[in-house]
Amino acid sequence: MRPDDTTMSALMGKAQSGDAEAYRAVLDYSRTWLAGFYRGRIDPAGADDLVQETLMSVHAKRATYDPSRPFLPWLAAIARYRWVDRLRRNYRRAESELDETLSEGDHEAEVIARISIDRMLARLSEGQAEAIRLVKIEGLTIAEASGRTGQSESLVKVNIHRGLKKLAANVESE
Amino acid sequence: MSKANRVMISTATSSQIDSLVADLAPVRRAKARTGLLVVAAATLLAFAVTAPIFGLRPDVAALHPSEIVLLRSGALLLMGVAAAWAVIASSSPGVGSRRDGWRWTVAAALLFPVTSLALVLGGTPFPTWIFSASSAAWCLGISLTSALAIGSALTAWLRRGAVTEPDRAGWLTGLAAGALGTFVYNLGCSSSSVHYAALWYGLAVVISAVVGRLVVPRNLRW
Repeated sequence: MRPDDTTMSALMGKAQSGDAEAYRAVLDYSRTWLAGFYRGRIDPAGADDLVQETLMSVHAKRATYDPSRPFLPWLAAIARYRWVDRLRRNYRRAESELDETLSEGDHEAEVIARISIDRMLARLSEGQAEAIRLVKIEGLTIAEASGRTGQSESLVKVNIHRGLKKLAANVESE
Repeated sequence: MSKANRVMISTATSSQIDSLVADLAPVRRAKARTGLLVVAAATLLAFAVTAPIFGLRPDVAALHPSEIVLLRSGALLLMGVAAAWAVIASSSPGVGSRRDGWRWTVAAALLFPVTSLALVLGGTPFPTWIFSASSAAWCLGISLTSALAIGSALTAWLRRGAVTEPDRAGWLTGLAAGALGTFVYNLGCSSSSVHYAALWYGLAVVISAVVGRLVVPRNLRW
């Protein structure tokens, strides 16, 4: 059974004190959660790298977690930061079919929706979100994205630049 | 994703998890209170260094500060502490936990330039000596040097954190350092003019905020 957020907070608190068993539980849970979080938001081959990078960040920044606060929003902020960082590094690969569904379907679905990557993308204009999705997530060239969207090539570039800037400025926004 | 890919991913992350668990050591939690203490200590240090060299206003030295000193000190302190608190809190990230209360203190501090403008629009001649005041260079110099010390200490503390919005952190660090650095200068500033505070204090805070935005983010990358 998947632990609730209160349990995760307690486990992370123990992990900060050096409890290896609690830490393994935190990382196992985080790995599963991150795989669902990134699914469909980056190409599948890149998702594995991103999960691993994010777990490294969780490890390096574990002292910044406050056990009196919920665990998931902390993990999600780090995950979003890593995702935007990946997009900004001009990450491009051939993509497979995108899975538009979010894997979570339990009582935490509402919380998950608030902290999801889609919530960030919804803050962008339609043109910005489309340009980022096609070029940075699906791996199309600027010219291909231009042909697909009807935007000029320079507009696609401007939309990507402005969109990424806006994403980076809204990592902690609901 | 194919089943084979999932198995490969699972194997890769499982061995990574093994190594991260093996690397686990107890950590001391980064507390926001410590960050505030760092900022307070840097501000006190800036005061302790500048006050004996450049002196204090007579009314401040006599512990009877004038109204204008109390007002501008309060505005600068509130703005500095609120901005510092916002950026310190962001070192422990969380979606939905962003603090934006500092904006109100900036609005309060803007009362000085707004008052200056209102006075001029109301017919009071603008004291043009302010542009060429010999103390202006000292104002900017002491304010920005103090801001540099405070901003450096705050940035060093933030580097231990997990700042997920570095650009915002840069603005806020510069704003906090600028407001507190100018607060240090204001205790020795001989001028009691609201126009002077609006122009030179405002300029010092804006310069510090811009420098913070340009310099701090690159020092906060993970």
